[in-house]
Amino acid sequence: MVAQRKLMASPVVPVLLSLVVLLTVWEGAILLFKIPPFVLPSLGAIVRHAFTDTARLMGALSATLGEALGGYALGNALGLLLAVILLLAQPLERIVMPLAVAVNAVPTVAYAPLFLIWFGLGAASKVALVALAVGFTMLVSALHGLKQADQAAVDLMRSFGAGPLKIVWRLRLPVAMPSVVAALRIGVPRSMIVAIVGEMLGAYAGLGRMIYESTQQIDLLSVWSAVLVASLASMVFYGLLVWIDQKLVWWR
Amino acid sequence: MNAFLQRLLRSPALAFVGLAVVWELYVHAFMPSPRYLPALSAIAQDAWSVWPQLLRGFGRTLLETVLGFVLGALFGCACGTVFTYSRWMERSVFPLFVVSQTVPVVAFGALIVIWFGNSLLAKVMTALFLTFFPVTVNTLRGLKSCDPQRIALMRSFGANRLVMFFKLAVPSALPQIMVGFRVAIGLSLIGSVVGEWFGETVGLGVMLMEAMNADQVVRLWVVMLACGLMGALLYGLLTFVERRLVWWRSES
Repeated sequence: MVAQRKLMASPVVPVLLSLVVLLTVWEGAILLFKIPPFVLPSLGAIVRHAFTDTARLMGALSATLGEALGGYALGNALGLLLAVILLLAQPLERIVMPLAVAVNAVPTVAYAPLFLIWFGLGAASKVALVALAVGFTMLVSALHGLKQADQAAVDLMRSFGAGPLKIVWRLRLPVAMPSVVAALRIGVPRSMIVAIVGEMLGAYAGLGRMIYESTQQIDLLSVWSAVLVASLASMVFYGLLVWIDQKLVWWR
Repeated sequence: MNAFLQRLLRSPALAFVGLAVVWELYVHAFMPSPRYLPALSAIAQDAWSVWPQLLRGFGRTLLETVLGFVLGALFGCACGTVFTYSRWMERSVFPLFVVSQTVPVVAFGALIVIWFGNSLLAKVMTALFLTFFPVTVNTLRGLKSCDPQRIALMRSFGANRLVMFFKLAVPSALPQIMVGFRVAIGLSLIGSVVGEWFGETVGLGVMLMEAMNADQVVRLWVVMLACGLMGALLYGLLTFVERRLVWWRSES
């Protein structure tokens, strides 16, 4: 009984259970209702297909992952930098923020065709697209976080002669860390998805390209295996980030 | 008059007017290739020339976005509530929800058309898939953050669970839920635009694709601005409703 309760208390077991239920329903429905593979292929078939097509999948994955990571790094760095600049130059905030909100009101996917025209079909257009999608979240969230610093602490530092940059570095950035990390987390799946969307509209390589081509050829197993690989990759990416978060933001 | 002028100078509207003027002047002064930046007046002219199509597309996409948002929000609120009151469900199903967000839904565009037909429903489902998660997370967070002292107080007055839920938990969670709604409305627009890429004939997403394939850059800008307008409108509407409905605490 105690052993059973312990088993239930571990975070992994319930997830595994519901995963098993999901997979059983998936496979069971296919067997029971004789669902044709073009509507819903069995998971076994998808995984088998992924293994036979490893070389193509890995090539596509590395292209997409490169774009997603590049855009993710660029977007978050620019977002954070802009947040610090707006904090230090307050009047700017009133001009820049409404524009940033307006830019963000347009759904990212609507920018994709324009970015393809501007930056070409190569990796640059996807990196820019991902950077835009990720950067805005970082800007808003980091700005919010930077302002959370205790005014008394700011005044104290100032009275000891710390300049605005020093206050940002020593006080405001550490205080903003949870908000920054939250934005970093939100950005992970988004960067992968945006890179894939960009590739679907026009690219030379990548998972999105593969998905698009396979859809055209009605090779749906390839679509499913590409989706599977993309999801697994963003989960690993996300897990890595959670791990870094636990190591980095130790003062929470 | 002076006060009015001052308010005007401080309002975000000035940033937009300023941007429009700078944009127009820049184009006339430096004559960049319209491929990179067409004049605002040229965009307005083009919008005027396709007025009926634009209006119909706007209406259609708006319908899909709102339907997807409403259904996704309902589903998200329901899931968030279940997760709050059943720890078991939260621990087993919630991780799967997180995983579901790493799935690039655009990849399933063709499949969704196979599943739900080339109908309004297919686009609504795409929008729903993108919307339910932020609402679920925020509902869960909001309901959980309910003050335990207040719960104890209500219980001491003999309130039953249903009364406590509607009179205490929901009102205190609503500001947080509203945050989820605001994220979701933008995602819903993305979902419906992307959903239209697969075999639809009316909508802003369709116009975007057509403009891209025909290499009409000015038309791309028209559609982008229309998407932005819709995003801003929906966001503004939601903020307005929030101020009316959740007057006890506005989060921003």
